[in-house]
Amino acid sequence: MDDLLNDFLAETAEILAEAGGAIVAWEADPADRAQLDAIFRFVHTIKGSSGFLALPRVTALSHAAEDALDQVRRGHRAANAALVTGVLGILDRLNELCAALGRDGTEPAGDDRDVIGALDERAADEDASLEIAGVPLRREDDLGADLQGWRSIRVPLPLLDSVMTGVTDIVLARNEFARMLRESGADLSLIASFDRLSDSIAGMRQSVSQMRMQRIDKLFAPLPRIVRDLAQDMGKKIAFQTSGGDVELDREMMENIRDPLIHIVRNAIDHGVEPLEDRVAAGKEITATIAVSARQSGNQIEIEIRDDGRGLSPEALVAKAIAARLVTTTEARALGPKEKLELIFRPGFSTAAKITAISGRGVGMDIVKANVEKIGGVVELRNDEGRGLAILLRVPMTLTIISGLMVRAAGQYFAIPRGTVREILLEGADTVRIDRVGGGELATVRGKQYPLLRLETVLGRERHQDDDVDDRALVIVRPGQGQSYALSVAAIHDQEELVIKPAAPMIMATGLYAGTTLPDNGRPVLLLDVQGLLAAAAIDANEAGRSQGQAAEAEAETVAARNAAQLLLFRDMNARIRGVRLSVIERVEEAPVSALFESAGRIQVQIGTDIFPVHAAALPGGEGTLKLLRLYDGQAVLCYPIAEVIDIVRLPDAVQPSAAPGLIAGVVLVGGEPVELIDPFWLMEQYSVGAAAAPTRRQPLCRLADDRDGWGDNFLAPILRGAGYRVIADGDTSDEAPDVFLCLTGDGETCSHAGGDVPVIRLRTSIAAAGPEDDTVYRYDRQALLDAMRRSVGGEAA
Amino acid sequence: MMEKLYLVARIADTRVALRSRGIHSVVTVGTPVEVPGAPPHVAGLFALRSRVFTLIDPHVVIGLSPVSVAPGQRVIVVEVAEHGYALLADEIEDVCFIEAPETRIAGKLLPGWARVADAMIEHDGASLLVVDPSNFITLPALKAA
Repeated sequence: MDDLLNDFLAETAEILAEAGGAIVAWEADPADRAQLDAIFRFVHTIKGSSGFLALPRVTALSHAAEDALDQVRRGHRAANAALVTGVLGILDRLNELCAALGRDGTEPAGDDRDVIGALDERAADEDASLEIAGVPLRREDDLGADLQGWRSIRVPLPLLDSVMTGVTDIVLARNEFARMLRESGADLSLIASFDRLSDSIAGMRQSVSQMRMQRIDKLFAPLPRIVRDLAQDMGKKIAFQTSGGDVELDREMMENIRDPLIHIVRNAIDHGVEPLEDRVAAGKEITATIAVSARQSGNQIEIEIRDDGRGLSPEALVAKAIAARLVTTTEARALGPKEKLELIFRPGFSTAAKITAISGRGVGMDIVKANVEKIGGVVELRNDEGRGLAILLRVPMTLTIISGLMVRAAGQYFAIPRGTVREILLEGADTVRIDRVGGGELATVRGKQYPLLRLETVLGRERHQDDDVDDRALVIVRPGQGQSYALSVAAIHDQEELVIKPAAPMIMATGLYAGTTLPDNGRPVLLLDVQGLLAAAAIDANEAGRSQGQAAEAEAETVAARNAAQLLLFRDMNARIRGVRLSVIERVEEAPVSALFESAGRIQVQIGTDIFPVHAAALPGGEGTLKLLRLYDGQAVLCYPIAEVIDIVRLPDAVQPSAAPGLIAGVVLVGGEPVELIDPFWLMEQYSVGAAAAPTRRQPLCRLADDRDGWGDNFLAPILRGAGYRVIADGDTSDEAPDVFLCLTGDGETCSHAGGDVPVIRLRTSIAAAGPEDDTVYRYDRQALLDAMRRSVGGEAA
Repeated sequence: MMEKLYLVARIADTRVALRSRGIHSVVTVGTPVEVPGAPPHVAGLFALRSRVFTLIDPHVVIGLSPVSVAPGQRVIVVEVAEHGYALLADEIEDVCFIEAPETRIAGKLLPGWARVADAMIEHDGASLLVVDPSNFITLPALKAA
């Protein structure tokens, strides 16, 4: 019986949380039949299970709600605010009963006529009160899907943890075993079946980790209801939005931020959003917006609660704090703007002029802060006085699987969250220049400047004597929006999926680490806190105002010339070890396989907003990501897919050239092993055919005129661009002087641009020329058109 | 019964009786992974099965200079506030029930030991300091805060 009751309570608690949100969504759009049906099913489910368990009050309550909703479904009754309030009242009562049930194990005696009566149609107050603006947030597919999603069981946390530990142990044992297997030279069939085992272990590890994770949606579910009720109580109009509900968080952590989140939302409604008249006076929309969003940022989850209310007034806060005797007048004067805002985190502080029933429940921002900090998170304020406040909760992604980049420094390995890494370059690469400026260091990468942090220096360690200076790499890190820096490490190792767990408090307190992880080799590795490193190094990583000198580029090239003779060893897609001169590699890209596509018989890749050719015969299958060497000859980029980077070595002097020109320029011996040397000249030549029309000299500018129907822009411009011209569309107000006009004037009319210094080519729509004097060009005669263009612009060259 | 159970060990050159509550096991470790920037009593990290443990050097807590970790060194694994730690031990002697009562510390201790020791106890004709193993872990943090 107890088990049944527990299951019922767990299920009901979830249903009630979901139902609250669903009802508010339905209220905003009463015509939404699917929503109504979903709510009906919610209460119906509760009624069904409670009847089975003999809980008369619960049954009566859910029956009343079901009854009222059914009348609406049948069209006998209109949905109005009173009905919604009534149903919500029932849900509240059900919540109370469930709480009592959980506590005492029996249903308490009591009378529910008040809430059931409130549902009664006659009792419904017809002058419906304030309506809630805005449609709250449930994605449509959620409700239907969740009905199935409830099929769940409850498992004690320690059991889950032990399963996780067990699986991690299996992984470690597997790795050990794999190593032994390789060394023993076992036969292929044995290795194949081991690989199969290995794959299923990897799959299992994945699902086990997911057992601990939960979509943050769950946390957002009760919010619409809270917003609705509060807004109605206070006579405010509020549109509520959430986003990023699919971000996953450790279930345990979720429990810890539930209350802070609710508190902040309450605060926003109560203190943040102004009364209607104040909003009007401030020239704002009457309907306020409160937005809750979650996103993953590196090794942290950021949850932002933003309102467009009045924001915090530092002066008011100070006055309040002095009145509450939290600070003395003298202390207050010494506070900076940020410290003034942070007064709200002091125990005993409450920003409302009077303590209201809503926010003043003894839970202050101090508790919020303490709760978030307990799990290693931080609370940040972004205040825009008069225009709104955003409160940012940053919580670490502990017990999470993240993709981590393993780097070496001071003789040991560290992990960097892959999500924060923008780019990886070798310190000796052509595109990198490092300057010592007034004791600090600065890295310039393709004209972009980054403050340079040496990992050893930040960690207070010496460089390891075994580190090869040629291995040193720069990791361009972006710890947050608008921030970036270059982290110099002794070497890049590889990339791994890492299970991150929190480190001991004394290690977390250093601010340098975000957790520990146990990679497959079984030796613990510290995950670097890329934001914390910045703080420890006391460097301003703000991207704003960094210059991009062209002179820097030129100097970078001289530096590059010194390091020219280095060879990058890599394993290519066919598992062959090959090498290519490091200086032709711009960088190593990591692109999702899905970014590759075939076009015009060639494989191309999209990286950011650029499209580059890829040296590959066919599209790679499968999923995941692909490493691409980015070859750059000063004009064009070619991507060469590889399996992995092996090493960087000095290019040996003795090269055995190959007999015929081709992909392989020759063979060199590296460490006694033959290595095929890629011929970048041949390679670039293969792919430069299409790009030949993009000469280094200035591209002639062609302006379209009288392009009334857009034919020129849509049909003609791409051809011209393909032929190496720049095109300004008709109507573009750019005043750059064109080299040639293309007049699309209708047949028989005169072109408005004729007669100037600039040559004019007129196009005609009819295929036949009007006469021997007619110098117009038929607009679909591509060759004639291009010939005419060449004659007009670059005559001699043609 | 558990209250009477002690782990007798030599830690930081001193024989002590560690209260056994919170003690998980005694294991040997290989070379730990260093934690740059961590407080000095953190001797590194090591993995035991799939958990990562923080190695604490009691010498530093007592105010002595740190010792290097020899591979195969025995450590005492303890659990404090849901995190796993291990104390470097010079020597593990025995786990035993000591029937004698804990007594107030008589005499003057070195300042370092005075901070961590809770009481004294008679065992096999010798007086041992009674130490809660968690003191080695939480006390330095308190000092730093």
